[in-house]
Amino acid sequence: MWRAALFAALVGLSAAGGRTQAAPAQGATGEDGQWTMPAKDYAATRYSALADITRQNARSLHPVWTFSTGVLGGHEGQPLVVGDTMYVVTPWPNVLYAFDLTREGYPLRWKYRPEVSANAIGVSCCDIVNRGPFYADGKIVYNLLDGHTVAVDAHTGRELWKTQVADLGEGETVTMAPLVVKDRVIVGASGGEFGIYGWIKGLDLGTGQTVWTARNLGPDSDMRARPDTFKPPYDHGTDLGASSWANDSWRTGGAPVWGFISYDPELDLFYYGTGNASPYNPEQRLGDNKWSASVLARRPADGALVWAYQFTPHDNWDYDATGTMILADLTIGGRAVKALVHFDKNGFAYTLDRASGRVLLARAFAPVNWARAVDLSTGRPVLEPAKQTGASRGNVKGICPSLEGGVSPSSPAAYSPRTHLFYTSTNNLCMDYAASHTTRLKGTPYMGVNTPYSAGPGGYLGTFMAWDAVSGRKVWENHEPYPTWSGALVTAGDVAFYGTLDGWFKSVDARTGQVLSKFKVGSGVVGNPITYRAPDGRQYVAVYAGIGGDWALLSGDTRSDDPTDVRAPADYVPDIARHTSQGGIIWIFAL
Amino acid sequence: MRPRLPQCRMRRPATLLCTVLACAALAACARQAPTAATSSTATTLPAVRYEAHLTAGGLPPAGGVLHNPHQGDAAVARSGALLFAAMNCDGCHGGGGTGWVGPDLADGRWRYGGADAEVFYSIYYGRPRGMPAFGGALGAEGVWTLVTYIRSLAPPADLPTESWETK
Repeated sequence: MWRAALFAALVGLSAAGGRTQAAPAQGATGEDGQWTMPAKDYAATRYSALADITRQNARSLHPVWTFSTGVLGGHEGQPLVVGDTMYVVTPWPNVLYAFDLTREGYPLRWKYRPEVSANAIGVSCCDIVNRGPFYADGKIVYNLLDGHTVAVDAHTGRELWKTQVADLGEGETVTMAPLVVKDRVIVGASGGEFGIYGWIKGLDLGTGQTVWTARNLGPDSDMRARPDTFKPPYDHGTDLGASSWANDSWRTGGAPVWGFISYDPELDLFYYGTGNASPYNPEQRLGDNKWSASVLARRPADGALVWAYQFTPHDNWDYDATGTMILADLTIGGRAVKALVHFDKNGFAYTLDRASGRVLLARAFAPVNWARAVDLSTGRPVLEPAKQTGASRGNVKGICPSLEGGVSPSSPAAYSPRTHLFYTSTNNLCMDYAASHTTRLKGTPYMGVNTPYSAGPGGYLGTFMAWDAVSGRKVWENHEPYPTWSGALVTAGDVAFYGTLDGWFKSVDARTGQVLSKFKVGSGVVGNPITYRAPDGRQYVAVYAGIGGDWALLSGDTRSDDPTDVRAPADYVPDIARHTSQGGIIWIFAL
Repeated sequence: MRPRLPQCRMRRPATLLCTVLACAALAACARQAPTAATSSTATTLPAVRYEAHLTAGGLPPAGGVLHNPHQGDAAVARSGALLFAAMNCDGCHGGGGTGWVGPDLADGRWRYGGADAEVFYSIYYGRPRGMPAFGGALGAEGVWTLVTYIRSLAPPADLPTESWETK
């Protein structure tokens, strides 16, 4: 089948036969060699048409440049390359570096050091991460952990505006990468562990002023859901975001936004996932808890909600749906479909019609036992009664996947229009879930759970795999000894790239998964590789090293920034500290 | 690296039930809201010293002395354990105080000092890097209850070497 697919790609077909026939949602033609937005393009494909690095020559990839960020937090996210400059945002304190790619050694053009409140560290559930900047209209736009969005002149490094968008006192921080559409900067807040009233905002790109605010739950008026424009595919009625929460629990119901956002210019819709419902004890918020653990489609200009679909109704496993929504035009059953493909923490991979929100396919991509399947007629999961949780159920054992997710939402997948395959890291972990009553005290965690992890079946903890979103099947997978938390990159050379938690950066054959090159980068990789063509005309691949993102991992002596904080190793990865420790490094590879 | 602590297996920390006792403790705290943070007079500066701090001229600043009215009281420590969960302390510091987002409180090592008065200050007034001030919500009596619990956690022997070759 891959030969047919390759042929189709070579001749540039978009309507040939073959059930996996596909084309990118936005033009992969006219590749300019830059990487100007977090997920490469609005469709969030993380696919580059650069093809100097191929399956044949990738084995000669080697590092050509490194730079220490001086920061020990988890280095999620990715650099940008705009013209002849590389931009890097560090974890807190969120320094922005601009490297001159035209000169030997890539000296800095400038760096921008905002003042970011250290209080934000204590309100960050899952490390002091930042998922990267966005370039638009001569500006680098990104978020600060303490709840600000900033725009910096991409040429001079001068701050153009700085807007407070989130409230640390409510438990809100901002870790996500913004999306810029025309003159709108779209941002959301983390805080699903603090009982926030989750939201997304649209700022004006020119001034930074907040133009609209839309809640992800609550009454229709707060959600910017109007009866004439909001058409959810499976639900009817008004104020679903409030009526699906017992006792007005939506007021502290979470539904944060901390993943990557995608956008379809033809439909003029942007797509984002919402995180878990708060608190983790589901009996304090009976009901479906819409629209937590959901995908929402909105208009960028005014934030109007157009449709919403909930992957995990009444989330009682911390199954955030903040993973990327990749937009691809697929041929399904002989019909061209504007699809949205999403790998969820709940272990199912979903293929949706992105115009309507209807589910076309949902198949498990990792071990799943909380549900048996997804009913395509209702869009709802078919639940396994023994794996439902709550304080009155005590310790519910052996739930798969764990709350780290079948895939971490911080590990965005990639899509190649040449192979028609999606590439993603996965976790092979299960958990026990002992919920308990908890009380909300503003600015402190609002959780109520204890969830020890264990390895899933098979004796490995992570994979990197290729997925066919039309047939809903795994094409190949590479097992990894630790959970795999890096994002994916795939190129027109049919090479895919990812990093591992024990610090290997690998290139693999996108058609078979065969490892072509690997290099030990000094710290575990939780960032997302990118590729670009530098001013010297060559193709490069860049990635961050810098383990983090989950405090359980920072047990043992990897907590190197604080000698007064000594912890036992996490027992599901007892020897990770033997193979890696903290430390942020930017790596660049070339042939 | 010291030997393995009582296992902190979870990413998300344990939370005890908000039992009748914990709620009672909270109510008691509320009643005794922040009348006096110290046993000294209001005009006397407190003389808290951190173990690791140096003093200019070798002269620690003079001042009032904070005294834990419940020092070593096991019953108060048990109440403190419930309060530790009820106030969501475990949400950051983990079940048993063994660390999660916030540092381990049971490892015998302290950023801001581990004496009763020093721990009192950390809880009552908060600390940079995100430790909230609980003095307003708990009052002095509630904070002393937490201090008594935290100080009751027995640190393991501090063995700074961790070896993967010889176990």
